[in-house]
Amino acid sequence: MSGLRDELRLLRYGRDWRGRARVPRSARRWEPPETAEDFPTAWARGPVASALRAALQQGVLKPVVWSQTRPEVHGREYLEGVRGPTIFIANHSSHLDTPLVLGALPPRITKKLAVGAAADYFFDSRAIAAATTLLFNAFPVERRGSRRGRSLAAELVDDGWSLLLYPEGSRTADGWLSAFKLGAAQLCAMKRVPAVPIALRGTFAAMPRGRRWPQPGRPQVSVRIGRPLHLGKTETVPEFRTRLVRAVATLWAEEDLGWYRAMRAGADGTLALPTGSRSVLPTNDTSQPGPSPDASSWRRIWEATRSPSGDDPREVWTD
Amino acid sequence: MGRPGFVLEVDERTPPLLIHEGDGFRLERLPLGSQVIYPPESLPGIVDLDGAIRRALLHPHGSDPLPRLLRRGMRLTIVFDDLSLPLPPMRTPDVRQRVIEQVLEMAATAGVDDVELIAANSLHRRMTPAELKRTVGERVFRAFHPGHLRNHDAEDPDDLAHLGTTAHGEDVEINRRAAESDLLIYVNITLTAMNGGSKSVTVGLASYASLRHHHNVHTLRHSRSFNDPPNSAMHHSYDRMADLIGGQVPVFTIETTLNNEPFPSALRFLTRREWEWNLTDQASYLAVKRSNELAGPKLRRRIWQATEAPYGVTGVHAGAPSLVHPHTLAAVHRQQLTEVSGQADVAIFGLPYICPYNVNSIMNPILVMSLGLGYFFNLYRGRPIVRQGGVVIFYHPVPHEFHPVHHPSYIDFYELLAETTDPVMLETKYEKQFATDPWYIHLYRTSYAYHGVHPFYMWYWGAHAMQHLSDVIFVGGNRSTTARLGFRAASSLADALELARDTVGADPAITYLHAPPMVLADVR
Repeated sequence: MSGLRDELRLLRYGRDWRGRARVPRSARRWEPPETAEDFPTAWARGPVASALRAALQQGVLKPVVWSQTRPEVHGREYLEGVRGPTIFIANHSSHLDTPLVLGALPPRITKKLAVGAAADYFFDSRAIAAATTLLFNAFPVERRGSRRGRSLAAELVDDGWSLLLYPEGSRTADGWLSAFKLGAAQLCAMKRVPAVPIALRGTFAAMPRGRRWPQPGRPQVSVRIGRPLHLGKTETVPEFRTRLVRAVATLWAEEDLGWYRAMRAGADGTLALPTGSRSVLPTNDTSQPGPSPDASSWRRIWEATRSPSGDDPREVWTD
Repeated sequence: MGRPGFVLEVDERTPPLLIHEGDGFRLERLPLGSQVIYPPESLPGIVDLDGAIRRALLHPHGSDPLPRLLRRGMRLTIVFDDLSLPLPPMRTPDVRQRVIEQVLEMAATAGVDDVELIAANSLHRRMTPAELKRTVGERVFRAFHPGHLRNHDAEDPDDLAHLGTTAHGEDVEINRRAAESDLLIYVNITLTAMNGGSKSVTVGLASYASLRHHHNVHTLRHSRSFNDPPNSAMHHSYDRMADLIGGQVPVFTIETTLNNEPFPSALRFLTRREWEWNLTDQASYLAVKRSNELAGPKLRRRIWQATEAPYGVTGVHAGAPSLVHPHTLAAVHRQQLTEVSGQADVAIFGLPYICPYNVNSIMNPILVMSLGLGYFFNLYRGRPIVRQGGVVIFYHPVPHEFHPVHHPSYIDFYELLAETTDPVMLETKYEKQFATDPWYIHLYRTSYAYHGVHPFYMWYWGAHAMQHLSDVIFVGGNRSTTARLGFRAASSLADALELARDTVGADPAITYLHAPPMVLADVR
């Protein structure tokens, strides 16, 4: 047994959790060209895989996540009127985000929901790609404009699927919001479908990049779902993107300011965006939340790793 | 199109690298800064192989098309490389079968009745009927065996013809049937740059009287390397002999080259660059390694020996031997040549489970030595991979085991090593005795034994390396057998480097030749 353990250790040496090793510097010029093949995902949207996925999500994934963290879900009632394909957009700072959103959304939505996943991260290894596709109904999204096939997103919307997308393109490095790419807004405009903003707080603190399991102690996380937003008749795609960013920022600020004050600040245009190292949008307000983008990176990370409810122990007795 | 070979410099990102060690393999973390020579990736095999063979036969180099050389009433002898090629044995149908079948179809069309097929096994053991059938295919075997499909017998005085001596006084004695044919067709597989060309007929069909002129310590010490024919005294000797034979026997040769796919798809990880291993490769590595270790030596050997290589054929060239071989060598170089700058203080080689002389057999300690200091050490062009006075570290368990049927003279030769390991001493004192021993000759002719002199040749194969190196260390080697061979054993790479420290210092330049698949280092 120790032989096997040693062997595994040697095999794992220098590889990440997906089993990928970094390319030695002297081998970089001999890296193979990217293949143009996309991992097939259609099988995961069939009835058998869908049923299996629903069972796994509700029977395994949600109980595990809910047992390891303390999720608070707000705004589920806004989804009552949502019918047909919808684009759910959320900020992204942790691998916990997708399981949390899937657990927070009602099953009638999740059973018809596909999740955009980074093609270069989740779809490089066939084993990981298959597992991701089955469990999350994931489809590959290109985030660096490579030569791979075009995104499936538009086709999926045409087929009646709702999508969960992370417009930042990647998990943030410091827990704060980074710039939204245009893709999600573009898709809403192209297919005339609503976007539902979602703000996730506490997931960076609970399980940041590099961690494979949530921090011990059931850290608190929150999922705040906003009202569906529709593209205005005269609104351009960049303007809609700005609206989406502000909607997510408002939901984000609810955690600190409360629902009404956050909404007021948003309406007044005084809401500062919870930006990370790069500014998301120009703002003239410095009231809150978090450190300014100019703050040093350790301060941004320090703030971002603060649990939404503070570090105090959970109250057992309440009045 | 496969990527070319290249030299990796081990940095902190480099994952542990795969190293063969007999019928096993391991991952090893090499010291930072070590160089690793990777072979070029496998080239695509010819899709329409039968078409390529046909074109080669109809449009040969420096010869009339084969059908025009064939006529009713002629004596036709088809000679083919024996089971020492390729390694591992290729998946059937063997390319020799496909060539021979087309040659025979043309011969049948021309009305040739007197056809003889001979395996060019030289002083190797005879091929069994099953091995012959596997090589030439069912149709050919049924049509010709046993009367007209046979092994060359280098000890049959009635079937040897002395064709003369070269200007250097080298006797040329080859198979009589071949020598007295109206046309000798040689079907070859060139796996490394040493194979093929003049070597085919002059070695494959020769007798001891002829072989001793180039298979000796002096010639091998001046063959630098024997994988670089222009700089190989051995090949110069072959060329002289081939010229003499060519003046008396019309030879039409068909040479084939293979790509770099020696392992089936289940062992794909053995040929992939380690940092490109995906989860499947890693799982395969773990599964194969663990089950290999659990299998036990006998089952393990049987499984490895049953491995068939899915080689693709990269080239088929036919015609006059001297005009064909440059094309063949170019194809070999295209697949195997990797440029390396500078020599190392320490060279590392992982020795696999197979060498040309243990197909369906056992790799005994003398064969391990020959594989390491002979074949692997000589996988260079220009200068040796390791500098003069450097150290070589091999990975192999060097078990003390012999195949009593295939290698009887090796067992006795191993005892001689207790007296001396000096190739010159062994050559002058014992070679003739072993070569002419009637019992060994009897076993060679009637059983399936390698010739009595064969272990000497294996020892000479490493003569140049022994002269060049100051130390040879086997990681994981059996201590008593390595000591008998005159080498040292170490339990780990760190220990081996510690042993080498007295010779090459504490911070030696290390080069690991990542083979198999085959690679020929072009050391500048």
